[in-house]
Parts: sequence; structure tokens; C-alpha cells
Amino acid sequence: MTLIQERPSGPGLYSEEAEPLTQIVPGPRPRGVVKFITSTDHKQIGLNYMVTAFTGFLVSGIMAELMRTQLAGPDNHVLTANAYNQLVTMHGTVMLFVFGGPFAFGLANYILPLQIGAPDMAFPRFNNLSYWLYLGGFLVMMSGFLTNNGAADFGWFSYAPLSEAIHTPGPGVDMWILGIALTGFSGIFTAVNVITTVFTLRAPGMVMFRMPIFVWNSMVTLFLVLLAFPVLTAALALLWCDRHLGTSFYNPVGGGQPMLWLNLFWFFGHPEVYILALPYFGVVTEVFATFSKKPVFGYKGMIAATLSIAGLSMGVWAHHLYTTGAVLLPFFAALSLLIAVPTGIKFFNWIGTMWQGVLTLNTAMLFAIGFLIIFLCGGITGVMLAQPPLDFQLHNTYFLVAHFHYVLLGTTVFGAFASIYYWFPKYTGRLLDERLGKLSFAIMFVATNLTYFPMHDLGLRGMPRRVFTYPANAGWTFLNQLATIGAYLLGIGVLFTVINVFLSFRRGEIAGDNPWDGQTLEWATSSPPPEHNFEILPPIRSERPLWDANHPDQLTEVGH
Amino acid sequence: MRVEFRVCLGAALFLGIIDLIYWFTSNDDAGTACLLFSFFAYALIGSFLFLQWRRRKGIPRPEDRDDAEMSDGAGEVGFFPAASIWPAGIGIGAVFLAIGLIYGVWYLFIGGVFVIGSLIGFMVEAEAREEGPDDPGFPAVGPTGPDPETRAATPGTSR
Ligand code: HEM
Ligand SMILES: [Cu+2]
Repeated sequence: MTLIQERPSGPGLYSEEAEPLTQIVPGPRPRGVVKFITSTDHKQIGLNYMVTAFTGFLVSGIMAELMRTQLAGPDNHVLTANAYNQLVTMHGTVMLFVFGGPFAFGLANYILPLQIGAPDMAFPRFNNLSYWLYLGGFLVMMSGFLTNNGAADFGWFSYAPLSEAIHTPGPGVDMWILGIALTGFSGIFTAVNVITTVFTLRAPGMVMFRMPIFVWNSMVTLFLVLLAFPVLTAALALLWCDRHLGTSFYNPVGGGQPMLWLNLFWFFGHPEVYILALPYFGVVTEVFATFSKKPVFGYKGMIAATLSIAGLSMGVWAHHLYTTGAVLLPFFAALSLLIAVPTGIKFFNWIGTMWQGVLTLNTAMLFAIGFLIIFLCGGITGVMLAQPPLDFQLHNTYFLVAHFHYVLLGTTVFGAFASIYYWFPKYTGRLLDERLGKLSFAIMFVATNLTYFPMHDLGLRGMPRRVFTYPANAGWTFLNQLATIGAYLLGIGVLFTVINVFLSFRRGEIAGDNPWDGQTLEWATSSPPPEHNFEILPPIRSERPLWDANHPDQLTEVGH
Repeated sequence: MRVEFRVCLGAALFLGIIDLIYWFTSNDDAGTACLLFSFFAYALIGSFLFLQWRRRKGIPRPEDRDDAEMSDGAGEVGFFPAASIWPAGIGIGAVFLAIGLIYGVWYLFIGGVFVIGSLIGFMVEAEAREEGPDDPGFPAVGPTGPDPETRAATPGTSR
């Protein structure tokens, strides 16, 4: 069954008389499970992505709680060393490859076509395929736990020669390799799809410099995916050959070069950090603008900042390798510090967007502000660690663990939760409960700081990362207990949002099409949007077409 | 089109410069090669978009014009299949292929059957699209959009 879409040949104004934009072909539409499996609708696929990614977040969160339980006291025996290593590795891998990135891909799938006035993604069936590869990757990766030797246990960056077959035998590792490769292919397909959609399916009048910042950021993120994931896949293929075909690309015993893996992996790994951050920068930009009832402050500066963050992030990979002594310190330190500049511009613009705005402090906005604060702390320790002398002291201590959790929780968790509270009405037509939401936010915000702030100090006191236990006389016990209490609280905070989603899905307050007085096109259609998205579109004359249509007395100034 | 190719070519230029600096200052072939790959990737996309723009002789599409009306985009927008089982087939096949790489030939075989069979299905489905109007499941409007005159009057409707 097929559909060919028409734009109206009439005036196409935002009025009752306008002809509908789409002609929907009559015929059976799959429902239920069949719809979940076969649908090529970008909205269904986007939801599939987000639900799966959130499941990954919960699974990986449980692993984290187990690890924190083990670390709650000195010489604890909740987990064996071996189990701890597997959990560290899989927690990191699932959070990064199954939750952080793909949740953003799901958002891009659902929201991006709506925001540019497109009927769907450019390649709907490839879109569906991306989802299956991603889900397959997740399952393959996790089935490592079912094998005799257990899942991969060499840390999420799998340094050679530890990852070679002699040191880490067993199919768990191979499942880790192949699972990541599958999610990698899925990411590449999504990238091609989204970029083509942005380039070719925008509504008339939606010029590039009128696209919402979320669209720009998602597009630039997928530019990075397009560069990073092929390199990772190639590196994994070589690792596979080393393990099974007797080559020694990374194995020094056979004349290989462990540094080759380090360079290839981090050439992917650092851009990956921005793949996890940039889409959520976009999310909070939308949230700030909507709930301040103002256009984005410094719109073009924001885009320039996004592009330069992305560009620079391609040239900083070896700041993860300072301590190897085999990389060019000045080059990487200089570029790493430079990234702070466009990131700082973003902070100014976010604050500028809120400045003198009519603020609505609802849950979405609170999570976005939580993002600002948490991410700022992570950013500051990031600038510290970018200085080689300091990094030599703190590399692979808990200071680093604190740093990257501030960065990653700030962006992926607080950003994703802001997006859930902001766009849930669009997905379902119902609002999430504000009281539960605010409670969830308050607990999560306090708990995040309680968990990770003590880790800075643990690092300064010399506690290395990835240790499964520590002696009582090391002086690390109290801080670890704080962190563990924080981690439990964090779990409770997350649960409140999960409960909220389940309750509101059926019984939430009816939201209507445009509950927030939104500015961008996704709010111009019904909630949830019909197949192929729009009946009518408002004329697009600025970066907030819907606002202009609803507030003709406060038109957006054009050309700033 | 202009912004699109400028962004891509700009990215290529930046990556090229970084690569040159890196090449001369470091002794790392792996990183140099990766940056070179990145440069070529964006040079390729950017120059493809540039050529498209040249082919259109710089005439902007409706989505590139500040003052475009919705009706300027009249005509066929694209082919959007409503549902398809084949992607799931390819996905299942890919998982079997992955497991086959670990546990042996039989899984590889099953995976191969799934992938190839589904790929054929996928292609046949796309093929059917060409015959669109004859197929009862297809809409009456042809894949060429409204009458040729409207199309000629509105530059940039064909994609
Ligand atoms: C839900 C709350 C979370 C808790 C309680 C938590 C806890 C932990 C713990 C205990 C470790 C092991 C530290 C070590 O022994 O070295 C760890 C490692 C890690 N976590 Fe988390 N984490 C959480 C959320 C996240 C999120 C949201 C992300 C990313 C999106 C993330 C990414 C990582 C990574 C990449 C590692 C390093 C794995 C490795 O060393 O190979 N975590 N986390
Ligand atoms: Cu980095």
C-alpha cells in the first residue's frame, strides 16, 4: 500500500478554507503489533526508538545500582571482581550506544520532520530498518551475559591488547563487538535519512536559516555520526580479524600497534560525546524559547556555535590519550580548550533567551535549567582535564568518573527528561502530571549532585576508576557511602517519571494541539499528528512560524 | 541549496586544514588517515550538492526562498510507503548473520536467506511503485503530480 503526497495548488494559507495538504490513500492500516513491526511512519519509529532507548537506560541503571551497592562499603562481597568488570563495561556501553544516542535519534525521527513541515522522513523503509538493526544490536550485546564467560569485561573502550583473544576469550566479547557494529550501521542509516530529509523535504519558505535549533543540532549531530561510526566499524572489524583470523593489527606480540586501536577508537569516541550532547542542546534551546515566550536569542550565533563545536570535536580525540605519552600534546590541548568558546556562547545565548522573558517554570523548564547547571559543572572539570599536567594526575581516577557523569547526565538524562515533559503532549495528546514531574526533578537534581560531587574528592584522594572494592583504611568509605545513597535516590527520582508516564498515558489531562503556546511547526498539527503530519501549514516567514500566525501583533523580527 | 553545499564544503575545508596541520606536526598515520577520510566524505557530499545547484542554474527551490507560498511547492512530494514488512526481515537476518559470525555456518545460512529474501521483497515493492496508477492499491493521482503547466510555472517543484 502506497501513498503519494500532494501539496495544495490553492493559496495554502493558515485558514479554514485552505485545501488539505495531503491526500491519504484509503485502505487498511496495520494496527497493534503489526503496526509496531511494519510501520514506516516516522512518528511510530521515533516512539519505538525512544521506548527502547529508555528501556536501555533502565537496564543500565540497574547495573549501576548494583555497582554502587558493591561500593557502599570497604571489602564488600555483593559482586565478584569479574561480575563488577562486566557490569562496568556493559553499563557504559548500553548507556552510550543504546540510551544516549538512540534516544536522540528517536527524537529526531519524531520531531524533526514535524518542525520543518515534512510529511515523513526521506526514506521511510530505511528508517524502519535502522530501528531493527538498533534493536538487534541491543539484544546481541546483552546476550553476552548468557554465555559461559559472561559479557565483555574490558571497559567500554576495549583497549588492546586486553581485548585480544588470548587475554579475553569467549563469545561475550564477540557479541559486544557485533552488537556495537549493528547499532553503528543503524546510526549511519539514520544519519543519511535525516540529512536527506533536512536537505530535500522542507516546506516551502522553510529556508535553512529558519529551521528550529533542534533541527540544526540534530542535523549536525548526524553529520558527526556519518564520520565517526564508519571509523569505529572499521576498527571493530580489525579487532575481529585479530581475534579470529590470526592477524595482529593491535597485538604487539605479532608486531601490531595498540596505539592504532587507541587512535581509531577515540577518533570515534570523542565525536560520540558530542553526538550525545548536541541534540539535547537543541532540546533545551526549544524549551527555553517556548517557556520564555521569546525567540531564540542570537539564532545565527547559536548555529555557528553548533557548527564549530562539531568541527572542533573532530580534532580533539587524543585528549583521552595524554598519558600514553604518544600523542601530540599541544595540538590536542589547544583544540580541546578552544571548544569551551562556542560552548560558552551557547550558555550566553540560553541565558539571553530567558532574559526578560515571561518564564513558565514547569517541569520541562526545570529539567532544562537542571541541564544548564549540571552540564556547566561537567564542562568546568572538562576544561580542567584538558590541561595535560592536571590530566596526568587525575587520569582514570574517580575525578574523571565524576566529570563525565556530570557531562553525560546533564545532557542525556536531564535533556531527555526535559524532552519527555515537553513533547509528551504531542505524542499522546495528554499532559504529564506536573506535581509528580516536579517531585521527580527535585529528587533527581539533588541525587545527581549527591552521587557525583563526592566522586571528585574521591579522585583527588586517589581512588582509581573500575576497582570493584577498596580497603577500609584508604579513607574512601564515607564518600562512597554518600555516592551510593545518591545513586539509590536517583533511581527513585527516575521511577517517579516512569510512573508519571504510565499514569498520564491513559488518564492525563487532555492537552490539545498546542498546550504551551509553541512557536514551531510541530504544534501546528493535531496531537498526535495524523498520518503524514499536516492538514494545513501556516506561512513560514521567520524561525517561529506558528508564533507569527497566533500572535500577529508580535511578529518575529526577521534578519538578526 | 546554497546553504547546504556551503555547510558541507566548509566542513570539508576545515577538516582538510586540520588534517594538514596534524599530518605535519604529529607522526600519527592513523589519525591523519581518519581526518583525510572525513575531508573526502564532506568534499563528496558538498560537491554533489554544488553540482545539483549548478544544474538548477542557481534557481532556488521553494524551500530555499524567503517568500515562498505553500502553493509554490504544489506537485508530487515523494513516495511514502505506509508499511512494509521487509525492513524487519533484513533486521532479523542481520542479527542471525552476527550470531553466525560467532557460532558458525548454520546461523550464517539462515541470516543470508533472510537478508537476501527480504532485500528482494524490498526491491519488488519499490518496483511496484513505478507501475503505481495501474495498481488498485495506489491512488488515482499519478506519480507525476498535477498538470504539467502548473509544474512549469513553479520552478523547483520536481525533486
Ligand atoms: C543512573 C545513574 C548512574 C549511576 C548510578 C552510574 C554509576 C556508574 C558507576 C558506579 C560506574 C563505574 C565506575 C567505575 O568503577 O569506574 C559507571 C561508569 C560509567 N558510566 Fe555511569 N552511572 C549512571 C548513569 C550514567 C549515564 C546516564 C551514562 C551515559 C549516558 C553513564 C556512562 C558511564 C560510562 C561511559 C562509564 C564508564 C564505563 C567504563 O569505565 O568502561 N552512566 N557509572
Ligand atoms: Cu573527548
